Amino acid sequence: MAMLVDTDTKTELGFPYWKPIRRLFGPESPFFSSGNIERELLAKQVALDLSEEEKHTLQNLVDEGGSREVFCPIVGCGAHLISLEHFEDHYNGRHTASCSVCSRVYPTSLLLSIHVSEAHDSFFKAKVARGYAMYECLVEGCGLKFKNYKGRQQHLVDKHKFPSSFEFFKKAHLSKKARQKQQRKQSIHISEETSSKMDIEGETIDGLVSAVSKLSTSDASPPSSISFGRRNTRGLAFVPRAVQREKKADSVPTGAKQ
Amino acid sequence: MAEGGLTSHRRDPIKSSVGNVAAHRRRQNAVEVGKERRESLVRAKRLCRVSSSCDDSDVCIENDMIIDEEQSILEAQTSSAVEELKSAVSFQGKGAMQKLVGALREMRRLLSKSEFPPVEAAIKAGAIPLLVQCLSFGSPDEQLLEAAWCLTNIAAGKPEETKALLPALPLLIAHLGEKSSSPVAEQCAWALGNVAGEGEELRSVLLCQGALPPLARMMLPNKGSTVRTAAWALSNLIKGPDHKAATELIRVDGVVDAILRHLRKADEELATEVAWVVVYLSALSNVATSMLVKSDAIQLLVQRLASSNSLQLLIPVLRSLGNVIAGDSHTIVAVLLPGCEITDNVIEVLVKCLKSEHRVLKKEAAWVLSNIAAGSVEHKQLIYSSEAAPILLRLLSTAPFDIRKEVAYVLGNLCVAPTEGDGKPNLISEHLVSLVGRGCLPGFIDLVRSADTEAARLGLQFMELVLRGMPNGEGPKLVEREDGIEAMERFQFHENEDLRNMANGLVDRYFGEDYGLDE
Repeated sequence: MAMLVDTDTKTELGFPYWKPIRRLFGPESPFFSSGNIERELLAKQVALDLSEEEKHTLQNLVDEGGSREVFCPIVGCGAHLISLEHFEDHYNGRHTASCSVCSRVYPTSLLLSIHVSEAHDSFFKAKVARGYAMYECLVEGCGLKFKNYKGRQQHLVDKHKFPSSFEFFKKAHLSKKARQKQQRKQSIHISEETSSKMDIEGETIDGLVSAVSKLSTSDASPPSSISFGRRNTRGLAFVPRAVQREKKADSVPTGAKQ
Repeated sequence: MAEGGLTSHRRDPIKSSVGNVAAHRRRQNAVEVGKERRESLVRAKRLCRVSSSCDDSDVCIENDMIIDEEQSILEAQTSSAVEELKSAVSFQGKGAMQKLVGALREMRRLLSKSEFPPVEAAIKAGAIPLLVQCLSFGSPDEQLLEAAWCLTNIAAGKPEETKALLPALPLLIAHLGEKSSSPVAEQCAWALGNVAGEGEELRSVLLCQGALPPLARMMLPNKGSTVRTAAWALSNLIKGPDHKAATELIRVDGVVDAILRHLRKADEELATEVAWVVVYLSALSNVATSMLVKSDAIQLLVQRLASSNSLQLLIPVLRSLGNVIAGDSHTIVAVLLPGCEITDNVIEVLVKCLKSEHRVLKKEAAWVLSNIAAGSVEHKQLIYSSEAAPILLRLLSTAPFDIRKEVAYVLGNLCVAPTEGDGKPNLISEHLVSLVGRGCLPGFIDLVRSADTEAARLGLQFMELVLRGMPNGEGPKLVEREDGIEAMERFQFHENEDLRNMANGLVDRYFGEDYGLDE
């Protein structure tokens, strides 16, 4: 008999929309294991003189059903978790290192520190401008460094088999309050014309560079990793309106807006 | 009559030879539920501790763990009992019959005493060939009964112990015949049920040897412990994964009628075992499912769900209903029509299960509802406007994970119209707006955050519905308010490429550079 039928629709946009389908499970499917265990326990319980403790342990057997063990799905972690319920704690404890400057969240301290250097460190930018190889490989233990973002990206794809759709520098989405706060901060900085502006613009330029360079790599990547909306204007996200108007005049090619 | 394992009340009092103090001491000696015990509890085989016709008045049930010294004594006794049996089998003189029955009875007592009978010792000492000899045709009933009882308990153990029964199978099957006395047939059915419960290989041997037709016939009478044991044995025999046995069973003359009769009238214990037969029939055999759907089986299942409070009965009945709805499109399309009384009744009993305190019932009821919600727009309206909706919303926030996942399927299915072809499925705005308004979004976003791939996928798919379908562009704001963006951004560093692409796609599309600029 037909088992689980998966008929997700993927249109040219690549998103598998919700499609209501009937789901049938085989009798020995893990879906039914709680019920099967309960059947046997109930049938045999009468012949046994179970203590409260034993009943409790057996109830856990039922509740666990099949195996509820889970491995953390964050890249490079693989931590073994006793149950799904434990995952949230694990995630909050291990994968929420956040940047104090821009509030982006990273799953490891290595990635966080790489981010801080590349996005907020003017010293870093200076060395890059002078041609030093400063962009570090993201894989723990590799340690190779590259002169630009694109070079590192290529290394990740070639050497470490990262998908070309993987983006290290990706804009984070601040809450509305934080966005407004940041926009205010940015306009103050621009009007005062302090050097802190370099921070934001530096970010923006990097983003622009990565976005433009990504144009060429994304053409070469296999269709499965191109989803809709791989927009290359992403780097401009946090540009304050004043700066953005200028940038738009520079006619950066935009992806199709939808 | 009282039978170990299959009944929920005993007729004979349990005589404990040493009393409560000893029982307590034994319990203390085995503090945890050991692995072996857990496995033995959970497997589909059942020990026979007290038989239906045995009037052995000093049968004594000691339920708790046997301490190590006791175990080795038991094993020694077993070996000598096998020796006794050997000499009784070859004895030709006066009173040979009595001697043989006596030896068998002693063997049987040793094998019924504890939760862990000395099966290995018995096999090692050579019990099986002797027991097979005791099953020869023409032997007195008492002899057949005791021998089959011994074999039953040997088969209730570990896989290799069950497999040791291979030489006995043809004879056990033969004694299922209509000429056999009822207790003998029943005991043989019990032994065969244990063998079938072991696994696919042994099931296939039993089917080849023709075990199915006689067992099926034993299920036809109206009542009696034999009917119940036969039904249980059949449920083990047809459980697959091959569907042939299930299809063969439903085609035996009188079986469909008997099943319906038992579902309608039998006491809860018999109905329970028959319902498990229906579970396997409906899960594995298209032929069986369509026969059941065309009869009044659904009605009968609904009646049981409405009237019973026994978890043992409710589980297989609910699951049978679920299988019949999931397996055959005819059910939703032609039988459970919106507006018909039967359909209202189905929803009503499913709601009753959702309200139950039992986890299994809640989860499987939600599964059944999700399949009905995958039907026509009218089906969705029916569920949406029923008592189910508020209960589902509450379960989405408060229930354990596996229940929340099934509930998510129901709610999502309510919001999407049946699809034709490959296009983007249409939303049912009224349901989406209302359910989101009643607070279902956080529950879905919680699923997005879970480590379970299927759940995360469901959550993202529902978020897409919200982002696309909420009027006045409210979708993105709502999602943001519930920390949906943060949840989606987690996938940036997630192993699963599909989920990464889904999440990235949504973020790019709905939270692009223009987002939040015109506030």
